[in-house]
Amino acid sequence: MTAMKRYPFLPALVILVVLLVLNGAFQPRSVSVAGMTGLAKTYLALMLLAIGQTYVVYAGDIDLSAGAIVSLVNVSVVLLMEHWGGDGLSVLAAIAIGLATGLACGLINGVVVAALRLQAIVATFATSIFFMGLALHLMPVAGTPAPAAFWRTYGGRVLEVPFVFWAIIALAALLTILARTRLALQLLAVGDDAQGAYQSGLPATAIRIKGYALCGAFAALAALCVTGDTASGDPLVGGKMTLFSIAAVVLGGSALSGGHGTVVGSLIGALIIGLIGSLVYFVGTPSEWQNLVQGVAILLALMAGILVGRKARA
Amino acid sequence: MKRLAGLLLSTAAAVAMSGAAWAADFKIGLSNGWVGSEWRTQMIEEAQAAAAAWKAKGHNVTVLVQSANVDVPGQIAQVRNFINQGVNAIIINPNSPTAFDPVFAQAKEAGILVISTDAEVSSPDAVYVGIDQKAWGAAAAEWLAKTLGGKGNVVAINGVAGHPANQMRVSGYKEVFAKHPGIKLVNEVNANWDQAQGQQAMQNLLATYPDINGVWVQDGMAAGAWKSIMDAGKSGQIAGTGEIRKDFIDLWTSKKLNSGASVNPPGVMASALNVAVLMLQKKQLKTPATTGRYKNAMYLPIPFIDQANLADAAKKLEGKPGHYSYTSQLSIADAEALFK
Repeated sequence: MTAMKRYPFLPALVILVVLLVLNGAFQPRSVSVAGMTGLAKTYLALMLLAIGQTYVVYAGDIDLSAGAIVSLVNVSVVLLMEHWGGDGLSVLAAIAIGLATGLACGLINGVVVAALRLQAIVATFATSIFFMGLALHLMPVAGTPAPAAFWRTYGGRVLEVPFVFWAIIALAALLTILARTRLALQLLAVGDDAQGAYQSGLPATAIRIKGYALCGAFAALAALCVTGDTASGDPLVGGKMTLFSIAAVVLGGSALSGGHGTVVGSLIGALIIGLIGSLVYFVGTPSEWQNLVQGVAILLALMAGILVGRKARA
Repeated sequence: MKRLAGLLLSTAAAVAMSGAAWAADFKIGLSNGWVGSEWRTQMIEEAQAAAAAWKAKGHNVTVLVQSANVDVPGQIAQVRNFINQGVNAIIINPNSPTAFDPVFAQAKEAGILVISTDAEVSSPDAVYVGIDQKAWGAAAAEWLAKTLGGKGNVVAINGVAGHPANQMRVSGYKEVFAKHPGIKLVNEVNANWDQAQGQQAMQNLLATYPDINGVWVQDGMAAGAWKSIMDAGKSGQIAGTGEIRKDFIDLWTSKKLNSGASVNPPGVMASALNVAVLMLQKKQLKTPATTGRYKNAMYLPIPFIDQANLADAAKKLEGKPGHYSYTSQLSIADAEALFK
């Protein structure tokens, strides 16, 4: 019971393990090292986006523009790398500008929602159209290739270990550091009781803006992964990721009403979505049913999470 | 000694048999990343039928289908599933022209043949078997320019901005209209390959430009656009491109519309499958697939429907449901003729 309180992502973890076992049972090669590397390469972007989304959800807000930020950063980074020639230093410079772009988008969202007091769901829907429009303006057609140095690093190995696993280790370190800052707790406090947080002297507006900024920065990191996995710019690439990132947050045990949740849960939630997709296929679902079964499976995972959580608390 | 010879013989026989089995049986993965239209469903059904047809030739071709509405990372996951399963070939209708370069490189490393269809891909590790979308757009524009006698006001209704096939089709009609100084392209709008949006767009265009003579509209929106034209009572004065679904062809016939349609046949994936099976048999193309902007394409012929052959097209579609598209594909014999 105390475990459930300390680790609200436990139900999600159970589902994740079950899904891994099932995937392995139906297609043993999917849980081999190569299979797991492929899984990590494909879903690292969604994991990062779900983590970013979590910080916003902590405060009871939502970011419907997260996927559009991914597209915008992907397009900017690819164009800059092409413009500067694609050698090592220019790649690093483009990455830095990409991160700054994501951060700036997040700040815009934060100001619009927290400072101007517009409803988060509509305001970030509007900014998502704006960011997507900007991405389309920068690159009207998908297709500019990213330099080989960039995607070969993402898809390759460092010291015999796939690069994505190093990225996951770095991500774990980053999350540990973030968990020790006051920001996560402040966001949760605002989400739990905005009025109370404000009255107890917390700068609620500034905190919410910081949450959006953090989400923008994580969206930029997600965009770097997308760029690594797809080796090109695509002004529409992130569009569908937004709702998946929100689904991952909820699957991971966070409450959309705010004040309750964990980033680790969201990370697991993203993997659950990925594994459900491949499992639906590996069990031999006919193609015309794959979308339907996937939707039902995600619903079941949600329900299972709630049931397991209740049992554990009872 | 005799025993050893026997052992060698049986080993040789086993090797020969496994070799024969390898040559006869193929596992082919079909990946489709968008299920928003019956055209895609028909594309997969025709490919499945084409695979079954190989049985008569002594080849067991098993198709594994992954078809769902996915984003680009989701379709990359589909390809990774096929690699995990150890298929011999992957045929993909890709959601992006360039995003599959890394994953196709991995497929090639695993010894898998990759063919894209319907939309070209930049990967040097893949071959494109399908129509030239630019030529598709140009053929419809040529028809329109000819039908209008080389002069008149024309509007264009396009699909999704930023989608590569859309951009290629647009460049196709732009090039043709530029060659006809009498044709004035007064406006171009996007209606996202959606009939309702196509109808709405046409309504707005008719209200804004009462003197339109021609409409260049892509399939998936043409039926909607024509509905607006008929509602406005202008079907006698306007020539416009049409589409290849049975219900539209029936309407076209009964209302005597002045229309013409470039055919992007849903049979392209079946054609790609027949080419894939021949490639898996290690046969060589007579002309290597090196055309197109990515130098990896093999273009299929583009049929055209106009007044001259409308009745034939309608006959071919008789008894089919309204959403069924006019189709054509490379038969096994057609495909064999392309190989040495």
